Amino acid sequence: MPGTEPPAIEARGLSKTYPSGVRALVGLDLAVARGEVFGYLGPNGAGKSTTIRLLLDLIRPTAGSAAIAGLDTRRDGVEARRRIGYLPGDLRLNDRLTGREQLDSLARLRGGADRATTDDLVRRFECVLDRPIHELSKGNRQKLGLVQAFMHRPEVLILDEPTSGLDPLNQEEFRGLARETAAEGRTVFLSSHSLEEVQRIADRVGIIRNGRLIDVDSVASLRERSLRQVEIRFREPVEPSVFTTVDGVRVRSADGSTVRLAAPETAMDAIVKEAARHRIADFVSEPADLEEIFLELYRENDGGG
Amino acid sequence: MGAAELVNRGLRDRIRALIAWSIGIAAYVALLAATFTSVKGSENFENVVEDYPSALKDLFGLSDVLLTTGRGYMDTELFNLMLPLLVLVLAIGAGSRTIAGEEEAGRLELLLAYPLRRRSAVLAKGVAVALEVAVVSGVAFLTIAAFDPVVGLDLSFERLAGASLALALLGILYAWLAVAVGAARPGRGLAIAIPAGFAAVGYLVNGLQDLASWLRPFRFVSTFWWAGQSPLSTGVRYGGCLVLAAAAVVALAAGAALLERRDLQVP
Repeated sequence: MPGTEPPAIEARGLSKTYPSGVRALVGLDLAVARGEVFGYLGPNGAGKSTTIRLLLDLIRPTAGSAAIAGLDTRRDGVEARRRIGYLPGDLRLNDRLTGREQLDSLARLRGGADRATTDDLVRRFECVLDRPIHELSKGNRQKLGLVQAFMHRPEVLILDEPTSGLDPLNQEEFRGLARETAAEGRTVFLSSHSLEEVQRIADRVGIIRNGRLIDVDSVASLRERSLRQVEIRFREPVEPSVFTTVDGVRVRSADGSTVRLAAPETAMDAIVKEAARHRIADFVSEPADLEEIFLELYRENDGGG
Repeated sequence: MGAAELVNRGLRDRIRALIAWSIGIAAYVALLAATFTSVKGSENFENVVEDYPSALKDLFGLSDVLLTTGRGYMDTELFNLMLPLLVLVLAIGAGSRTIAGEEEAGRLELLLAYPLRRRSAVLAKGVAVALEVAVVSGVAFLTIAAFDPVVGLDLSFERLAGASLALALLGILYAWLAVAVGAARPGRGLAIAIPAGFAAVGYLVNGLQDLASWLRPFRFVSTFWWAGQSPLSTGVRYGGCLVLAAAAVVALAAGAALLERRDLQVP
């Protein structure tokens, strides 16, 4: 019964303060269900890798605890890691080995991998197996890293920036793989600093900043709020206040004929219609960067509290 | 199961280095054995050494040894300094390359993320480096044994085997010390410096203790005192060998325990 099964990943008050005093993670409470693709989103240095290393028992929490499929990461670390496939954020392999030798060695280290699965992964990502790893590009190494994470068909995949260095084709292949994995009832936990990327792959997103989880939300509702940066250049000067009547829109700057707005995707229709009352020279709408979205989230949180 | 792969991988990664070391050691031993034929029975040579200051003779292990005999020559030229030095360079290099070296290179992260106890990883790495030391010590032993009848070294086989065992144990102790320091704290520099410093101090204490009597109480810290001087001439200190072996086990076990406790360092 799904209700009685422990979550795939669970953190309770998980905290890490380094001896230097840096509070890398503060009281993380999080549960990731089985069969879920969970995106862990935050800028560099937010605490994503710290969280992941705590889950793998590579570093130890200063407070709180974590469990993988109900197995405590400290007490039952070996059993917990048996169920995990891990891709480090900064993958370092044995450079003198060929891809094949490296994968074989890692399979033996794990005590066996699924041969058919490994072959399938190698084919999907078109891995280069017969050349020494030091001759491979970053992307080709990353693909080997993905293969070793998936090759034993683990229950839980913990992937730190999995698409970094991959070309768009392989990124798409990875997204397919993650979705299939989740469809089989297995769990994918991946970190990213790109909202766009996470939106394309995850069911739910956790947003972390300065070591604190500030929001967990479904991708659907995040998209509703997802902020765009709109720049409209008119053929004549326009009073920017006409846009503030639209819900959620904020005027970032205006100088005569150019207006810059921050607006949720839901407001785009109204903005375009409002803008269309005037003669337009150019219209640019692009996703706001993560910092912008964080600021927006903070504004919301401040407004609510 | 996983740990066996660490031993396997550790040795395979070092196969070229090991071959180079073995050839080098064998060549060095062969060269010395060949030159013995011109020293053998030469009284002039003995007189030269006789005139050395006794401090120097103590330091270089020339006391109680007849250079013109095969055993005295091999003791002085190989077992008292050169072989331990070479084996220590190999051992400390190999030991520091394991946990400390892999952590510094960032490779330890993936390894420890696998379902493997950290202490098993330390022990497996320990086994791999011990085998490296054993191979090179074994090559030294076999080369000397092969040249013995050729150039008439006239060695006691038991003493040669015992001296080689003491050499291997000394190397394993330092290799495991380097593994343990790397396990206890991140950084390859420390994993080289601490065993190397310990060896240097031990060598001086042992060499100078007859000259500077205040050093005598400290001779117990010297691994070279336990390993014994001039083993071919004066006999092998098997009791000392046991102490070396015990110290090696304690060092590796401590390293395993300390790695269990700490955070992995990531580059």
